[in-house]
Amino acid sequence: MTTMDWLWLLLLTPLVTGVVVWRLKTSLCAWASLAGAALMLIAGLSVVCQVAGGSPLSGWDGMLYVDVLGAFNLGLVVFVGFTAAVYSVGHMATELADGAVSVRQYHQFYSLLHLFFFSMIAVSVVNSIGLMWVGIELTTVVTALLVGLYNRETALEAAWKYLIMGSVGLSFALLGIIFIYLSGSFVFGDNPQALHWTVLVQMAKWLNPQWMLAGFVFVLIGLGTKAGVAPLHFWLPDAYSQSPAPVSAVLSGALLNTVLYGILRIYVVANSVLPGQISQYLIFFGIFSIAVSVPFLLVQRDLKRLLAFSSVEHIGVILLGVGIGGPLGMFGALLHMFNHSLVKSLLFMVAGNIQQKYHTRQMERISGVIASMPVTGKVFLLAILALAGSPPFSLFISEITIMMAGFKTGHIGVTVLFLLLMALIFAGMVYYASRMVFGATPAGMTVREVGAWSTAALFLPLTLIILFGVYLPPVFSEALHKIVVVLQGGY
Amino acid sequence: MELFIGSGLLLSTVMLFQIRKVMDSVAILALQSFMLSLTAAAMWYKTGIAHLLVAAVFTLIVKGILIPYILYYTIRKIGVVREVERSTGRYTSLLIALVLAALGYYISAQLNLPSKELGKTYLPVSVIMIFLGTFIMIDHKKAIMQGVGLITIENGIFLIAESIAYGMPMVVEFGIFFDLLVSVIVIGLLMSRIYSTFDSLSTENMENLKG
Repeated sequence: MTTMDWLWLLLLTPLVTGVVVWRLKTSLCAWASLAGAALMLIAGLSVVCQVAGGSPLSGWDGMLYVDVLGAFNLGLVVFVGFTAAVYSVGHMATELADGAVSVRQYHQFYSLLHLFFFSMIAVSVVNSIGLMWVGIELTTVVTALLVGLYNRETALEAAWKYLIMGSVGLSFALLGIIFIYLSGSFVFGDNPQALHWTVLVQMAKWLNPQWMLAGFVFVLIGLGTKAGVAPLHFWLPDAYSQSPAPVSAVLSGALLNTVLYGILRIYVVANSVLPGQISQYLIFFGIFSIAVSVPFLLVQRDLKRLLAFSSVEHIGVILLGVGIGGPLGMFGALLHMFNHSLVKSLLFMVAGNIQQKYHTRQMERISGVIASMPVTGKVFLLAILALAGSPPFSLFISEITIMMAGFKTGHIGVTVLFLLLMALIFAGMVYYASRMVFGATPAGMTVREVGAWSTAALFLPLTLIILFGVYLPPVFSEALHKIVVVLQGGY
Repeated sequence: MELFIGSGLLLSTVMLFQIRKVMDSVAILALQSFMLSLTAAAMWYKTGIAHLLVAAVFTLIVKGILIPYILYYTIRKIGVVREVERSTGRYTSLLIALVLAALGYYISAQLNLPSKELGKTYLPVSVIMIFLGTFIMIDHKKAIMQGVGLITIENGIFLIAESIAYGMPMVVEFGIFFDLLVSVIVIGLLMSRIYSTFDSLSTENMENLKG
């Protein structure tokens, strides 16, 4: 099989799986989903390996294009997706047995989950900025239905807010993309390739800078809304906390990165037209997101909302890293995208296990997790330490890299503020986590994990988090350096 | 010609501020989309760029017929025959709409961006449509009107694409039509689920999630 065949397989597998599970016998749904996800993982990783080792992949009249940056996001999507599919086998079976979801909703869940994977993969492999927008809009409609899956009042409220906020944000992003198209239309005429970002980067010298700046600002605000950048993040904690646990994991671990990938793509184009003039916007929104999340993190009662606000914080860290820039800042930001994606999806799965055991998300009613669920409890402790940024986990390395880049490039004020905010967040996180992990287990609770599949899935991301904290494989850091070149306008 | 279509678009948008029943908005949206499709057709007539004609036909089919039909079907199914609810009064909201329209006209006159000659008339119209669409979303309390506001914003953005930019690449335009259609279907789906769960479509009931 050529790499192109693998790419087609990667695109078709989730689409076919999504349609098939809709009609399949209920007892077979989970297995079909698992098989589909495994095939997606294999196809995805083989595309990633070949792109990382060789030249970019291009096909279908130049409509499809995967370079190292695209492959980076692709790899995360298929890995987090596969992990969530493994986790769902256990989690959704328990939900079905408890009567939390009906048989119909159970089918809906698996079907939509794979369509969700498809839309994220499509975003990472198309060449046109316009089609990338189409893919991101598609993720919105699919996930709105997933967020509202439980049909409770709160879930529907969250789904509605998410759909409306996301759609308005994406409308503004579309306006920005039209502006970017206009910036080149004086050169390209109505050339169908005028929105291919490979073409835009190469033609940067001839693009109109005024339209490009307006376009970039609209795209940043629009996609920023969809990613959950403060102050446009209000839908995010609602949507993350109301959706089923595997969906929360994919939302935070893969969708967030996919939207950031869109921002990065357009940043590359805009930065080649206006070198050094747009990173200030990223720094501003970055540090602002971190600052806004702090009070909500410190006075939080709901476990999943705590994790959601932490996502707002980490989007901020990533934007800050890209904004500070330089090879070091970019490298840190990419490494942070990778780390955050794994840790946050892991924690949402842990939260799902805790919710099924304690039947609550209120943190004051959760205690003694390590005693009632020995494995999940230990993973929880490790993961929350990793998320808060303590050594030796890999998030510590990426955050330190961004800080070093900040000092090196002379962004002293912002970096000091970043350091202080991170210290506050660390204290808050560790305080809440220690109260939940240790302490007395509620009376009458048995010592038992909620399910084999939903416990086993935790080890997939955990292994990588621990491994990458201790040892960063040279292959991986070389690949990241290649992406840094792309981010700086190379190709 | 441009003046006729432009004022038709503006008028249909302002009419959204005068409606009494939710169902009225569907007919107005259909009218608005019909005018939008005329814009694309007029641009094709002037420039001779073939894909503008395709865009005109698709606007008519998707925005002029399919989307209003989906909204009509949803409203019929959940039976919201009641009057619209606004946070401001009927005349106050019209007044705010007119102020926003003037502001939109002023801002687009100030924008000194290079553009192609033929589409220039439409720039203020699309800015005003985006402003008014946003205001509809904030002003109305019925969830369906937020959908109507969203479609108005989308129409305004589409107007910019069809006029000033002479249309986007074909594949992208098809993707946008497809997405819009799917979004409206999902809006309809969620709306009927909201209605059966809350027994009302007012967004005032949806304020449980905070902090």
